[in-house]
Amino acid sequence: MEYHHHHPLWTRALHACNALVLVGMASSGLQIYNANPVFGGRSGDPIPSLLTLGGWLAAGRWWHFGFMGIFALVLGSWLLVLWKWRRERLGRGGDLGAIRASANPRKRNYALHKLLYTLMLVVLSLALLTGLAMYKPATLWWLSGWFGSWQQLRVLHFATIPAMALLVLCHVLLSLKLGGLRLFRAISW
Amino acid sequence: MKRRNLLQSALGTGGLLSLGGCALNPLGPEVAQLTRPLNERIEAWMQTNVAVPEFAQNQVEPAALLVNSFNGVPEINPASFSLTVDGLVQQPQQLSLGALGQLPQQEMVIRHVCVEGWAAIVAWGGVRLGDVLRLAGVSPLAGYVAFESADGYFETWDLRTALHPQTLLATQMNGAPLPAANGAPLRLASPLKLGYKLSKWITAIHVLSALNPQRLGTWEDQGYEWFAGL
Repeated sequence: MEYHHHHPLWTRALHACNALVLVGMASSGLQIYNANPVFGGRSGDPIPSLLTLGGWLAAGRWWHFGFMGIFALVLGSWLLVLWKWRRERLGRGGDLGAIRASANPRKRNYALHKLLYTLMLVVLSLALLTGLAMYKPATLWWLSGWFGSWQQLRVLHFATIPAMALLVLCHVLLSLKLGGLRLFRAISW
Repeated sequence: MKRRNLLQSALGTGGLLSLGGCALNPLGPEVAQLTRPLNERIEAWMQTNVAVPEFAQNQVEPAALLVNSFNGVPEINPASFSLTVDGLVQQPQQLSLGALGQLPQQEMVIRHVCVEGWAAIVAWGGVRLGDVLRLAGVSPLAGYVAFESADGYFETWDLRTALHPQTLLATQMNGAPLPAANGAPLRLASPLKLGYKLSKWITAIHVLSALNPQRLGTWEDQGYEWFAGL
């Protein structure tokens, strides 16, 4: 029987949890989006129901506000932990140089990996902040003020979906390229 | 062998994710039941009694204020219009538009936010709901306010937000008398609640000590959130 190197159980559980919560937030978010698409308003093009969660606006909100607590908690904890270990774990300017210049392929790949998930954290933090600003534009009036007009705010919030889709795709492709199915098994079951 | 496993994993995951949309939908109400009470508690706690900063007159967006109607536009004769205020109050009221006009008039420029996702900055003018309720003398037992509208629309609010200084019974919109389509002669206006809570064509206000869970509001009874705070 082949020996599989596994990440610790808590890492694997958290990774799976993150993936599920993000899919839930995105798909319920797209359901909410359908009530008023970004371009074209109520007569604009809706997202196909295959990709949405809820079925209609009220249900989309049940799921979206149902999961937002977990999403905020996990993201917040992740940011705290990684900030403490930022020198080793977070992508930095030096990583861009390493990707281009380093002769060591492992160093290049690790730099690219760090850059990818650091960008993910930035995009997700933006999603959280713009979401809060739309959720409580009066109570948190100072926060919604950061993002300009209402249209700018909602475009930014929605734009985090294609941004994350791109980053997740790069992350999956990079991981498969580096370790294929063996690496996938290491982070899953 | 490895490529086949990879393809299977990808198809499986993708299939699962898209099926999830259809298969998970029925669980929606359970998710709401689990999380909504806590969410509404947090919303109420976050909301302060302090006034929400307002916008400038030149920031008003008249075209952005779309009109959603539950049941068309009812016909109301302003000359014979009378607002009922009763329930847990010391002096129940029947207020004509003239009587309401005698109370201190307020103006505010705030953002109207619809649950559909659009918003508009509007200049509202009218009387404070709190002033009307104080005129009637609200009982210390009161906790909620119910609003009846001429088109059959129904809403209930928490008393605290109803008494907030920026909750108005509006008669003016964007510097002109309130149009019929927007709720004339009397509608609710507030920066602190989602649009569906801002009843139009209000005919009666009832002050209550408790809510009927089966009758929280026209849209709440269909699954939308009750507190709906901004």
